Amino acid sequence: MIRHDIILETQALQKRFAGRKPFFGEAKVVRAVDGINLKVRRGETLAIVGESGCGKSTLARLLVRLMPPSDGTVVYEGRNIANIAPEEMRHLRRDLQFIFQDPFSSLNPRMTIGALIEEPLRVHKFGTKQDRRVKVAEMLARVGLPASVIDRYPHEFSGGQRQRIGIARALITGPKVVIGDEPVSALDVSIQAQVINILQDLKDDLGLTLVIIAHDLAVVRHMADRVAVMYLGEIVEQGPVADLFANPKHPYTAALIAAIPVAEIGARHAATKLEGDPPNPIDLPTGCRFHPRCQHATQICQTNRPALDGTGPDRWAACHHANTLSLQGYIGSGHSRSPTTQARFDLYRAASAVLPPQDQKTTT
Amino acid sequence: MTEAPLLDVAGLSIRIDGTARDLVSDLSFTLNKGETLCIVGESGCGKSLTALALMGLLATPPLRVTGGTARFRGDDLLTLPPAQMRKLRGDRIGMIFQEPMTSLNPALKIGDQIAEAVRRHTELSEADARAHALEMLRRVRIPAPETRLDVYPHNLSGGMRQRVMIAIALANTPDLVLADEPTTALDVTIQAQVLELMRNLQRDTGTAMILITHDLGVVAEMADHVAVMYAGQMVETGPVAAIFDDPQHPYTIGLMSSMPGLDGGSDRLVTIPGVVPPARDMPGGCRFAARCPFADAQCAQVPPTTSAAGNTSHRVACWKAPLEQQEDAA
Repeated sequence: MIRHDIILETQALQKRFAGRKPFFGEAKVVRAVDGINLKVRRGETLAIVGESGCGKSTLARLLVRLMPPSDGTVVYEGRNIANIAPEEMRHLRRDLQFIFQDPFSSLNPRMTIGALIEEPLRVHKFGTKQDRRVKVAEMLARVGLPASVIDRYPHEFSGGQRQRIGIARALITGPKVVIGDEPVSALDVSIQAQVINILQDLKDDLGLTLVIIAHDLAVVRHMADRVAVMYLGEIVEQGPVADLFANPKHPYTAALIAAIPVAEIGARHAATKLEGDPPNPIDLPTGCRFHPRCQHATQICQTNRPALDGTGPDRWAACHHANTLSLQGYIGSGHSRSPTTQARFDLYRAASAVLPPQDQKTTT
Repeated sequence: MTEAPLLDVAGLSIRIDGTARDLVSDLSFTLNKGETLCIVGESGCGKSLTALALMGLLATPPLRVTGGTARFRGDDLLTLPPAQMRKLRGDRIGMIFQEPMTSLNPALKIGDQIAEAVRRHTELSEADARAHALEMLRRVRIPAPETRLDVYPHNLSGGMRQRVMIAIALANTPDLVLADEPTTALDVTIQAQVLELMRNLQRDTGTAMILITHDLGVVAEMADHVAVMYAGQMVETGPVAAIFDDPQHPYTIGLMSSMPGLDGGSDRLVTIPGVVPPARDMPGGCRFAARCPFADAQCAQVPPTTSAAGNTSHRVACWKAPLEQQEDAA
């Protein structure tokens, strides 16, 4: 058994939100995160995927204690931060940072870019004013923004540039763990690629551990080392990214993979189209929460809740039939580009790599 | 094929009042009966403005059509009086928007909303319109349609609401449906369901569709023809196979290159450097020139002409296409 160096770990982590109290009876409870055990390894990129309402954003916030859990523990470097005092948490915040999906709503519109990026340093009483300025300039260069932006305001920037600012702000304190909640999903494809590259470069240069919350499986396939798939507050499958995409063990993972629209002509589609909507997280199904939508469900799935069990090396799945089902993983079209077309793509790759990583222009 | 196209757009240009250059510039395309044209491009490329202009829904002022024609069943959609446009919309032209919650009336039961769309354009009685609404809910495969007729939009999930939007758009069996990012707000498993539904309904009814999207995956699944737009100009157009197998424009190639692949490979992503030009200050030459790794002085100054690429309807607007010829010459 390989022992991994765990930097962040949750045990039986729960977050419940009270629903509206009806006139009669008890208020219903939403179990947004329902008993999650997750280990984040030092230096890895772990992706948490799932559809709207599966609890992935709540989990992200619990991991860095942007909200307190209802139950369970979050252990960072051996310390339980679930019930830590606010003062101590503020101190730890240097190590645990968060990148939001919408960079605009997370940046104070009345502060200049320089002040915004410097703010975390001031909060943590880092160095002198001069030291901080040097640090801000260094950070701007790392995220590919010109030094001239420090006196400008967030509204002057495009979405991609704002996300670079959000990243600079998150990384300026030199964190160990960075959680990104859909950090690139609001961006256009060409801008998304720029930001993904920046995140990966920074991770490599600074030795970060990244936890990425995402719904775009192509982004996950590209960025992650390991993947945890969530469904209605639970992790239903977990494993190394390539293995999980090639051989999903949980029918939900297989359905997610089958549903990706592939940008290739003649991409084959597995017949595992998922029917119906995810159930209401207030009235959770009995047994396996996925069983009402699962074409492989049997009697036991309706009554017994499956545990997240090992199915292979570093692989876990919460499915009663994980070891007997043979599910279809990702299949491309098997269609390759003509030599002429491939040459054109190669030309583009070579030529675009020569240009500076981004131009110095800013938009209105 | 000698039949005239269902929709023939020629030279469509749209401008913001008080700016020097057209935002959407000289856009031309045709659409045949029953076909799907995907207009693909990133934020600000003018794809939604194009759809709004065709539906007569452009916010004038400050936006206004400055040129071009859009022939649809003998009418020019760009100059049709509002009253006649209203007759076409919802009848011959159906519309599906990205966010169904903002296009559905929250205070009306969905059955009534579908029936309203029918009664506005036909002589059907209230009872017949309700029966038709039920039939439409069945066709968009909403479970338990009899009971769903009397629910409100907020009672439905996002995917179900989009099905209701589709039911309204198709209620009068239109010749053309304009769908602007119809699945962008939906989860991927729900998107797959809705796309499949749209394909099946289109096959059954022979409706032509203009599908506006930023997602090349959706394009590959849905399109017969593709128009790639950048900063208000169509940079490349052609049959879907030509666009994916033989892309010619550096922007099309860049867009495809910058998508993370599902086959793995942890290479750095290829990017398109820079950002789109601001809408109020479009450059004069090729609008992609500032971000194009192949651009030279000519590109920055002279707008490229559109040339045929191959022997199909595949056309590209680039001085440098195909790229490999440039390399040979250099």
